[in-house]
Amino acid sequence: MTVQERGAYRVIGQGIPRLDAADKVSGKAEYADDFHVPDTWYGAVVRAPVACGKLKSLSRDPAFDWSQVAVVTPEDIPGNNIVDMMGRDMPFIAHDEIQYLGEPLALVAAPSLHVAKQAAAHFKVDVEERPALLTLQEMVAVYKEDPAKLHKLSGQTIRKGDAASALKDADIVLEREYTAGHQEQLYIEPQGMVAIPERDGTMFIHGSMQCPYYINPELCETLDIPPEKLRVKQSAVGGAFGGKEEFPTLIAGYCALLALKTKRPIKMIYDRNQDILYSTKRHPSWSHYRVGVMKDGTIRAIECDFVLDGGAYTTLSPVVMYRGILHAAMGYRCENVSIDGHVYRTNTFPNGAFRGFGAPQALWAWESLIDELAAACGMTPDAFRLKNCLHEGDVTPTGGLLRDSVGSPEVLEKTLERCQFAEKWQQCSRGKSGERLWYGIGLSFFAHGSGFTGDGEARMKSKVALDLETRADGTPIVNVRVSSTEMGQGTGTILPQVAADALGIDVTHVDYPMPDTFKVPDSGPTVASRTAMVVGSTIYSAGQKMKADLESFVSETLFDGQPTELVENQFRAEYDNRSIPFVEGAAAYLASHGPFRVYDQFKLPDYVKWDQENFVGDAYPAYAWGCNVAEVEVDTLTCEFRVTKVTAFFDIGRILNPVLAMGQVQGGLIQALGYAMMEKLAIKAGKYDADRMQTYVIPTSVDGPEMDLHFVEYPWDHCQPGAKGVGEAPMDGLAPAIANALEAASGVRLRDLPLTPERLFEELSRSQRLTA
Amino acid sequence: MKIKRTWIINGEKLEAEVPPMRRFLDVLREDLQLKGTKEGCGEGECGACTVIVNGETVLSCLLAAGQVPDGATVTTVEGLEKTLGGKVLQAAYIEKGAAQCGFCIPGMIVSSYALLSRNPTTDAAQIREAHAGNICRCTGYDKIVEAIQSAAEQWPVEAKG
Repeated sequence: MTVQERGAYRVIGQGIPRLDAADKVSGKAEYADDFHVPDTWYGAVVRAPVACGKLKSLSRDPAFDWSQVAVVTPEDIPGNNIVDMMGRDMPFIAHDEIQYLGEPLALVAAPSLHVAKQAAAHFKVDVEERPALLTLQEMVAVYKEDPAKLHKLSGQTIRKGDAASALKDADIVLEREYTAGHQEQLYIEPQGMVAIPERDGTMFIHGSMQCPYYINPELCETLDIPPEKLRVKQSAVGGAFGGKEEFPTLIAGYCALLALKTKRPIKMIYDRNQDILYSTKRHPSWSHYRVGVMKDGTIRAIECDFVLDGGAYTTLSPVVMYRGILHAAMGYRCENVSIDGHVYRTNTFPNGAFRGFGAPQALWAWESLIDELAAACGMTPDAFRLKNCLHEGDVTPTGGLLRDSVGSPEVLEKTLERCQFAEKWQQCSRGKSGERLWYGIGLSFFAHGSGFTGDGEARMKSKVALDLETRADGTPIVNVRVSSTEMGQGTGTILPQVAADALGIDVTHVDYPMPDTFKVPDSGPTVASRTAMVVGSTIYSAGQKMKADLESFVSETLFDGQPTELVENQFRAEYDNRSIPFVEGAAAYLASHGPFRVYDQFKLPDYVKWDQENFVGDAYPAYAWGCNVAEVEVDTLTCEFRVTKVTAFFDIGRILNPVLAMGQVQGGLIQALGYAMMEKLAIKAGKYDADRMQTYVIPTSVDGPEMDLHFVEYPWDHCQPGAKGVGEAPMDGLAPAIANALEAASGVRLRDLPLTPERLFEELSRSQRLTA
Repeated sequence: MKIKRTWIINGEKLEAEVPPMRRFLDVLREDLQLKGTKEGCGEGECGACTVIVNGETVLSCLLAAGQVPDGATVTTVEGLEKTLGGKVLQAAYIEKGAAQCGFCIPGMIVSSYALLSRNPTTDAAQIREAHAGNICRCTGYDKIVEAIQSAAEQWPVEAKG
């Protein structure tokens, strides 16, 4: 199948305002803390006082008034005390081993938050403390000594050709290590959930989340209730970025367990301090490469250890690591690749999903190293990338064929031309003495896999529905019924656009009600830059089915059986030019048949082949492509530096809504700027040191550089409308582009994220480039 | 102890009896059920709780009810649509795609309203400076600045001064 030309779409590709915009600018949108549920009690968590140890006893302070407090301990859990994400190693409530500081030991609820918090502070915890492994640096030190001394949470390899032999044939071999630290998602709305026990035994979970269907199986197992007795509904979500992918299962579980015990609605809204201390972060990473190149710049062999700090439990770390290793040698031709991915336990809160999901860590190292390899061959960074970058028809590190919709090398060529990279590269300061300000320009180029890794989409078989229903005012409406959530990125607008286009109607006749598992099929989680591509294309085909059924109804009942087409909001009869508006035909259908639901299901193309055990084949159905250029200025007096300009091109496939797509790119790049040079979490006494917004610093409106951003459109050929993914790619490439620019400016290379003036000062001092 | 105050909130005269140390944010959200104003950090860093008191933007999470003087005029996000300037700003935010998740927007747009009410001929640098206390994690700020510039161009004469 070939996708239609852009001009064939009426609603797709239009920068229409978000459907939820009016509610959001007027303060009417209802987030988890905004809806009122009568008789609600407030929940709080009793937390472990050590990062590693054995719980010996937990008792209540007899002096405290417990008459107004409900307590849940592991004995109160009706089902299994397990949070099963990708490993059954994490309990909802710890009962024996403690693996991170603040791990839940009990839950409490009270009529006021104040009393609940006080109650949580009146437990006596007796623990036998053990030595904790807390940081990436400590973990890597042990790894270098003997990996068997670490607790392994996951491992996976990629093998292509014979990297070990090929390295021996290479003219030049570079061995390098790079690290990246934690990053906090810092959605502005903290985590929040309400659990309401209903009279018929249904547990109703309502709150801030990315993935309603993640919560279902988890809580059914823990509460020991059948799926039809668990209802999960999303409230308006004030940002997520992966931080509300798997975490909400925990807070939903805390609320539900307390609701079961008290038979009352329970609300938990984390304050910012709790949210930073006790929710997921981006995994810290250590990348160790040995790469062999020939003098002409050919990449001969890539060997890589990609090691993630998983935190205390398995959770989603295996797939984060998979995406990491699948991007750790991506983008360039090389016949010999050997990658070992590992995740090890440390005693911190489990690290988890965050926009990019392993790819930003991998690409940070890989795209820094590409510049080092270019220099080792005596080539410029642009020439080295142009020589080696993958084209349509080339093969990825896992042996996947790039069949179609390959935005490389166009994104690279266009970016280089647009920012005049070659000329500016000549002007870089390279640590020249005697100048107050140094200038540098740096580049990154990358692909980002769209959709689930490997055969995930084939197994998921995302389901969607469209409902033709009657609105309260009596007019017909088409409701998009998916579990894909709106969390700011625009799902609630682009999916109605796609449905409207497929049906041949205006988007004013389509709506996106917030996902509710009692009303929507499982379209999969809202992650992995998959919604526009996978769920969007399935909505398109559902829309075409509904269109065909409505056309045949109108043809038979109103147009004497003439062929009828629904186009531009009108049912049109072919022979006598009669036409009626969509609303009239749809109202007639509803009057005659009642509400009408169309289902559809995503099917991965047959040519996508994947061997999950050996990691061979098509790792992703398609890739988004991106190129970022950063220009930096270093003040040699203070070693402070700033990014003055970012130029970037992205190929995200068919652009469904250019305003929203650009919003994703702009926002993603500013998050990437924070990751690259502002956001720093250290661990002191087992605890994140930047545990408030005052100390965890993210970009404000005055921190962003000038941005010159563009798209090229290589639609995915398999499905209409041919979107790939836009959510994550903007997070991938800015950190290495900035580090590359910093080297061009200063002559020294920083290999640890975040890039800070202090680190630059250390490196400059070491290289004796500072004249003062 | 409770204090008695009369405030003009979003154009409506309101008599309140509140503990003087109660956070003004809680007075708005809990006592007056004005849930538009948000709490993002509770320590005056994120700006989601920004409201206007007597023409000045204040962080309602750091403000005690007793600090809001008797007779004070208060504008929250819910009050914007009652003003010409507020409507212009809302339309510009919608058109330019300035809201994504929307959680920072009640505070953000209130800051915009305060800025443009004071200085409708503002430029991009001043807009960025005036919103540096309103943190947005979604947009990267460019579309917000665009929206405010667009609203400034259309700022109604009636709302000036």
